[in-house]
Amino acid sequence: MTTAAPQIRVKPRRPWTTGQIVLTLLGVAVSAVILSPLAWALFTSLKSETEAVEVPTHWLPKQWTGQAWSAIFETGNITDWFVNSLVVSVCVTAVVLLVSALAGYGFARTEFRGKGVLMGVVMTGLMVSPAVLGVPLFTTVQQMGMVDTYWGMILPQCAPAAMVYILYKFFQGVPRELEEAAFIDGAGRWRVFFTIVLPLSRPSLAAVGIFTFISSWNNFLWPYMVTNNPDLMTMPNGIATVMNSYGIQWAQLMAGGLMAGLPLIIVFVFFQRQIVAGVAHTGLAGQ
Amino acid sequence: MTTTSAETAIRPARAKTAAPAVTLRRKQGFQHGGWFVAPFLALFALFVIWPLLRGLYLSFTDANISGDGTAFIGLDNYREALDDPLMWDALGHSAYFTLLVVPCITVLAFLLAMLAHHIERGKWLWRLCFFMPFLLPSTVAGNLWQWLFNPGNGMINHVFGIETPWLTDKSYAMLAVVITTLWWTVGFSFLLYLAALQGIPAHLYEAAKLDGANAWHRMVHITLPMLRNITGLVVALQILASLQVFDQAVVMLDFGPGPENSTRTFVQYTLEQGFTSYRVGYASAMSIIFFVLIAAVALARMWLLRNREEGGR
Amino acid sequence: MGRPGLNRRQLLATAGGLAVAGSFGFAALGTGADALASDASTRVRYWNLFSGGDGYNMIAMLDAFRKDNPDIAVKDSTLQWGSPFYTKLAMAAAGNRAPDLGVMHLGRVTGFSPGRLLDPWDVGLLAKYGVREQDFNPELWKRATIGGKLYALPLDIHVQLCYYRKDVLEKAGLLGLDGRMVSPASVDEWFAMLKEAKKATKKGLQTIGLWHNDQNFQWWFFVAFYSQLGGTWFNDANTEVTFDTDKATQVLEFLRRHLTDGYANPGFGGGAGAEQFVNGAPFAWEGNWSVPVFDAAKVDYGAVPLPPVFGRQATHAESHSFVLPHQADRGGAANEGAHRLAAYVVKHALQWAAGGHIPAYTPTLSTAAYQKLEPQNEYVSAMNHQGTEPKVWFAGSTGILAQRVGPIVVSSTTGSARPDAVARRMRSTLAELLASKNPMDGRTAAQGGAVA
Repeated sequence: MTTAAPQIRVKPRRPWTTGQIVLTLLGVAVSAVILSPLAWALFTSLKSETEAVEVPTHWLPKQWTGQAWSAIFETGNITDWFVNSLVVSVCVTAVVLLVSALAGYGFARTEFRGKGVLMGVVMTGLMVSPAVLGVPLFTTVQQMGMVDTYWGMILPQCAPAAMVYILYKFFQGVPRELEEAAFIDGAGRWRVFFTIVLPLSRPSLAAVGIFTFISSWNNFLWPYMVTNNPDLMTMPNGIATVMNSYGIQWAQLMAGGLMAGLPLIIVFVFFQRQIVAGVAHTGLAGQ
Repeated sequence: MTTTSAETAIRPARAKTAAPAVTLRRKQGFQHGGWFVAPFLALFALFVIWPLLRGLYLSFTDANISGDGTAFIGLDNYREALDDPLMWDALGHSAYFTLLVVPCITVLAFLLAMLAHHIERGKWLWRLCFFMPFLLPSTVAGNLWQWLFNPGNGMINHVFGIETPWLTDKSYAMLAVVITTLWWTVGFSFLLYLAALQGIPAHLYEAAKLDGANAWHRMVHITLPMLRNITGLVVALQILASLQVFDQAVVMLDFGPGPENSTRTFVQYTLEQGFTSYRVGYASAMSIIFFVLIAAVALARMWLLRNREEGGR
Repeated sequence: MGRPGLNRRQLLATAGGLAVAGSFGFAALGTGADALASDASTRVRYWNLFSGGDGYNMIAMLDAFRKDNPDIAVKDSTLQWGSPFYTKLAMAAAGNRAPDLGVMHLGRVTGFSPGRLLDPWDVGLLAKYGVREQDFNPELWKRATIGGKLYALPLDIHVQLCYYRKDVLEKAGLLGLDGRMVSPASVDEWFAMLKEAKKATKKGLQTIGLWHNDQNFQWWFFVAFYSQLGGTWFNDANTEVTFDTDKATQVLEFLRRHLTDGYANPGFGGGAGAEQFVNGAPFAWEGNWSVPVFDAAKVDYGAVPLPPVFGRQATHAESHSFVLPHQADRGGAANEGAHRLAAYVVKHALQWAAGGHIPAYTPTLSTAAYQKLEPQNEYVSAMNHQGTEPKVWFAGSTGILAQRVGPIVVSSTTGSARPDAVARRMRSTLAELLASKNPMDGRTAAQGGAVA
C-alpha cells in the first residue's frame, strides 16, 4: 500500500458548520463511552476497599484516599514487577531491532545459498505463537534450563517473523545506488549497513521498535507460562496471578492496573504521531 | 515496486562499463549475506522451528510434564483428541468468540475511523481517545471489565439499571468477554482504517462532487471500494488473533472455565491439559491440530488474495 | 519531527543506550530485583495459596517466625488459589526452579506425583523441631504418607459451613434456647426454616447464598449431602463405579430447589453471596475461611456444619498441608530452614484457627484458648463426620475430578439440565475417569494410581 504524500493543510480554519458540530458532539460522546471504564478504574483506586464494594455503587469517592496506591507499593511486589517489565521489554526491543534489521537486509539485499527456502521457512513462523505452540515451547525452554529466568522470558519473544518481513519489504524499496557508491569507495559491507542503510531506515525501525515494545510490555501469555516465581514476573502477569490472590481488593487491583497501563499511555500522549505511524505501518505491512 | 529479478537483469549490463575491480567489489558487497541472517535464524530455529518439530514428536508420545518415562504411542493422542467432546467444546467457544468479535470490530473500527476522519478539529484528541484502551495489558483490561460486570456493585448493571448475571451465567459470560475485547482492541483496527482513509486521494472526491454525487454515493462508490484491501487485512488479522483468544477470558473468569465451561477456549484447554493435567503429549497433539487450523486460515487468505489479484488483471 | 535540536536527540539516544545496557546487565544477573536486596544467610522461598483472612494470618505467623529466627529470611509468595497455583507449582518443579516450601491440599498430593514433583519430608528433622507423628490424627497422617514416606505435613482441616445471622434468625424464631440455630432434620424442615427466614429478611436481599454457579462449591456441597445419604463412589479395588444415581438425583434436586423456590437469587452467585450476607441476608454456605471476613465485618453470626437434611451429619472436608516441591539438589540450609518453618507454623496454629480452620496439630485443640474461640467451637465436631472425595489420583481440591464433575453439578443447580440426566452424566464421567491413566505414571486408579 502506498501512502499518499503528506497532505499539508494550508487552508484557514473553517467556521463551525452544523455538520461539524454534530460530528464533534458525537465524537465527544463516543470518547466519553470509551474512556469511562478508565475513569471508573481511577475513581475506584481512590476509594477505600470498603467503599469500593458498597451497594449501591457510585462514581466519585465520598472520601478520597490514596490508601490503595500506598498499599500496593508497601505490600506487593509491584515495583519488582515494574522493573522486570522494563528489563524484559527493553531487551526484547533491542534484540528484535538488531536481528530483524540484519535479517531483513540480508534477505532483501544479499545473496546466499538457500535464501528462497529460508525465506519460505521464515514465513511459516508467522503462524506460530505461544498461543499456538505453548506447551512444546515450554518444554523446549525447560530443557534449556531457562524456566523462571529473564532469558527464558526474553529470547522466545525475539524471533518475530513478521518484523523481519516488514523490514525486508522496506529494504527492498531502498534504492541500491547509495550502497553501490559506498562499495566503490571501499566501504565494507557492515560499515555500509550501519552507517548508510540503518540511518535511512529510521522511520521503519522506529515503527518496528514501538510495536515490539508495546506488545512485549503487554505480553501476558508467554511470561505467564514461563515464570512461576513472583519475583520475576512482569506487570501483566503479576497483576493477574498474584495480586488477584489476596481475595479481590478492587481498589488495589485498579491501582495496580493503572500502574501497568500508565507508562504506555503517557508515552503515547507525547509520541502520538510516531506511535500511530508505527502501529499503522506494521499493521499495513501485512497486506 | 520493482522486483529483485528485474533489477539483477538490468545490473550486469550496466556493470560492463565499470572497471573490473570495482565491479568485483560492488558485487562482493551483496555476496555471502548469510551472516546478516544468521542471528535471526539462530533464534528462529531455537524458538520456532525446534518447538514445532518437538511438538510434532511429543504428539506421538504419552510424555508428562516431568519429562521421564515417555513412550511412543502412535496416533493415540490424535484419536483421543478428535473424540474428546471437551476439545470440540473449547474449539466451539473460540469459534463463537471469533464469529462475534470479527464482524463487530470491523464495523466499529470503520465507524470510528470515519468519525475521526471527518471531524476537522482536534484530530489528535480523537485518535488518542479511541486508541487508548489498546495500550493496556490484556490482563488489566480483563480485570477492569470483571469489575465493571461485577454483580451487585458493578458499574454496567448500575448504569443500565439491569441485573444481568454477566460472568456467572453461561449465556452471558462469553458475551461479556466479547464486549471487553471490542473495547480493548478496536483501537488497533481503527488506526488501520484511519490510515487507509487518509490515503484515499482527495481528487477522487472532488471529481465526484463535480459530477454531483452526494455524500452517500461518495461513500458507496469511492470510500468503500478504496477500503476493500484494508478490510480484508483487518478481517484476516482479527480472525487469526481471535481464534487464539486466551488472556482476557481467563482473567475475567478467574482462570476457570466459566459457568458450566462456557468460556473455556481452545488455547486454555490446551494449556490445562499440558500444565494442569500434566499431559504434555496430549497437549502437543492439540497444539499441532491448532497449528494446522491457523495455517489453513492463513493459507486460505493468501489464496483468496492471489485469486482476486489475478481476477483483477 | 525535525524540530528537536541535535542536543535533545543526543540526550535521548544516550538515555536509550543506558536503558538498554542497564536492562541487559540486569537480565544477565538472572535474578529478580528482590533477590538483590536480600542479605540473610539462609533464604527459604515459600509459596502459598492463602488469600483474604488466611493470607493475613499466614503473614502474621511468618512474621512471628522471622522474629524468632532472624538468621532465616523467609521469602513468601502468594499465588492465585486453585488450578493456577497447582499449575505454577508443577511447572516450577518440572523446570527445577521450585521453591523450598509449598502448600497443598492433602487430596491433591496423590495426583501430584510424589517422588517426581514432590520430595519426602525428613521425619527426623521434623522431630528435631518438635513435630511428631503422635501429635496428629492418625487418619490424617496416613493420608499424608505414600509408599511409607511422608510427603505432606498437615496443617489443618477445613470444612464447608452454614453461616447464619443471629439477628435475622431471632426475628424469624429460628434460634434455640442456647442462642444457636435450630438443626433441621429433613429437607422439608430446612425449607420451612428458609421460608420463615425469608419473611424476616430485608427487602432486596436473597435468603441464602450458596455459590450456585461455582463449580468448586457446588461440587463440595454435593459431596457433603451425598455423604449424608451414605452414597459411595467406587468399590474398594477402584475397578467399578458404585455411584448411586438415585441418591445423586435427590441431592441435585435439593440444591436446585433453593433457586426454584426463590431463596437464592440467580444474580448473586459467587462472592456476591458473602456480600449479601454481610448486608443482612440470613444464610450463606461458605468455607470456614470466611470466619475472619465476617468477624471483620462485625456481623452477629454463627456457623454450623451443613444442615443434616438427609438424616445424618456430614460436611465436605479438605486439609491444607506443607509439601517440599521437587528440587534436584534438595538439602542444605534452605531445606533445613523449610523444615523448621513448617514445624513452627504447624505448632503455632492457634493464629491459624482464627481463620476458621481446625488445626491438625492436636495439642492445639485441647488448649483453653482454642475452646474459647467463637464460632469455631460450634463446628469443631465436623472433624468427626467428614465427607471426602474418593481417594484416587484425579481427586482433590480443584483437581481433575472437581473440574470435570463440578460444571455438571452446576448445570443442574442453575437449571440448564435436569437433575436425573445430570446424575447419569456424573456417573458416566466417573467411569471415564476411573478408566483413565494417571499421566505421571501411566497407571489407572485400579492399577495403583492411588496409594492413598
